[in-house]
Amino acid sequence: MTLRQYFSLIDVQARMLLKADNSKYKLGVLWWFLEPLLWVGVFYVVFNMILDSGRKGGDFILFLTCGKFAFIWFSKAVNQASGSIVASQGLIGKVNMPKSLWPMSAIQESLYRQAAIYLLLAIILILFGVYPSLSWLWMLPIAFVMYLMIVACGLIGACLVCILRDFQKLIPLGLTFLMFTSGLFWDVRKLDSQEKTEFLLAVNPLAFMLDAHRQVLMYGNSPDVFHLVLIGIVMTAVIAGMILFMARNSQYLALRALT
Amino acid sequence: MIGNEKRKVMLTLQDVSLSFQSDKGAFDRGVHHVLDSVSFKLYENETLGIIGRNGVGKTTMLRIMAGILAPTSGRVVSQRGKSASLLTIGLGHKADLSGRDNAMLSAMLQGATKKEALGYLEDIKEFSELGDSFEEQVKTYSSGMKSRLGFTTALLTHVDILLVDEVLSVGDAEFKKKAEQAMKERMGGDQTVVFVSHSDAQVASLCDRVIWIDSGKVCGQGAPEQVIAQYRESIHEKAQLKKKSLESAGA
Repeated sequence: MTLRQYFSLIDVQARMLLKADNSKYKLGVLWWFLEPLLWVGVFYVVFNMILDSGRKGGDFILFLTCGKFAFIWFSKAVNQASGSIVASQGLIGKVNMPKSLWPMSAIQESLYRQAAIYLLLAIILILFGVYPSLSWLWMLPIAFVMYLMIVACGLIGACLVCILRDFQKLIPLGLTFLMFTSGLFWDVRKLDSQEKTEFLLAVNPLAFMLDAHRQVLMYGNSPDVFHLVLIGIVMTAVIAGMILFMARNSQYLALRALT
Repeated sequence: MIGNEKRKVMLTLQDVSLSFQSDKGAFDRGVHHVLDSVSFKLYENETLGIIGRNGVGKTTMLRIMAGILAPTSGRVVSQRGKSASLLTIGLGHKADLSGRDNAMLSAMLQGATKKEALGYLEDIKEFSELGDSFEEQVKTYSSGMKSRLGFTTALLTHVDILLVDEVLSVGDAEFKKKAEQAMKERMGGDQTVVFVSHSDAQVASLCDRVIWIDSGKVCGQGAPEQVIAQYRESIHEKAQLKKKSLESAGA
């Protein structure tokens, strides 16, 4: 199988996943936009109306939207990718394909969705009076590093679940833990001590990424480039390691998926 | 078969065994032995039949030949650059997609490029006799329609070694005949085929050579009539034994 064929298969699989998903629901494509919006609504009610976020309404909506729209990409893609090898059991028993094909297709699908979600994010920002500026170009490297992070975590999740199904129980828990620790509805920069903020940004790359989204889109600041590049390099290394592992253990993974 | 020594070997299995640890199982502390020291050669252009009852390891053997699974011990020697593809019906149909989309996906998963896959679609539509249903979601299909779609998509692949797993039990009597005819044409040409079935009549009419496996072991191989006769005899014996043990239990 050539690399070109591999990527064209990922692309076709991802489009088919989208098509199948859209045809399943009455509102179809609308759900791409509705789901993240409803999430923002839920968080707004809880953290601004019931609890006090300490921010003004409009500001808090933008704050939530930037964070949630980035986080939902990560959580959905990693969740889908993690179950993808096991879910494709039937196919895995029939064709000898690289096992990364299934998580990568799931991730590709979420990439297409995310393109639409980013567009919606831009519209919301404009509606709330934040106009596009040159600093928005920072979103290109930020989205790219987000993508690398998703691929790295998705491949790891897919292998873990394939080798031991029990991990399927832990992945949603892990994602929820990440949601609470990544500063989705609280500001990582407004913690009671500076050290805590720095510690959190250092150990949780997702907290850094959500903050980077806000810095660029809401305040027109540039992100910490060194930190961004570092995350990018680490994720690339993880991806390379996982691809190698999956290529060497393809038949082992098939056996685990089938039995 | 006579003259096998002179023919080119496509694939060799040497003492191939496969066992796996199941997470929860009482057999042998959770270890399942699926294949036990299986050895045979597959020659170019031949149609090799594999017979045996359900659950004796036939499908696993095909999976090893296709490179999907690796043997726990033993060796599989294949020629460089030769592709082997497993042909089974219902290659993971997605119920929410149309027959056309499913055919496209299946063709690509069997190794076709996007362009090739697009080129097959009209042929698939025609041969499968699905007509307008081809554009409808597979969840609206009857099981016969699903297997017609699956068989046709699989039939159109081009591979060096075709591994066929019980595909001829598809559709109604008429389509079955057509499928068998198409399969015969394919087998008659330059195609190297391994054909798995528990229908000995089908194996007898399609294969040049037959291997009979039982409990993960090769129990016999050679000319179809001979091996099939052995296979029938063993089934008969087993039935007799069962009858006897039932009688003695009753008494």
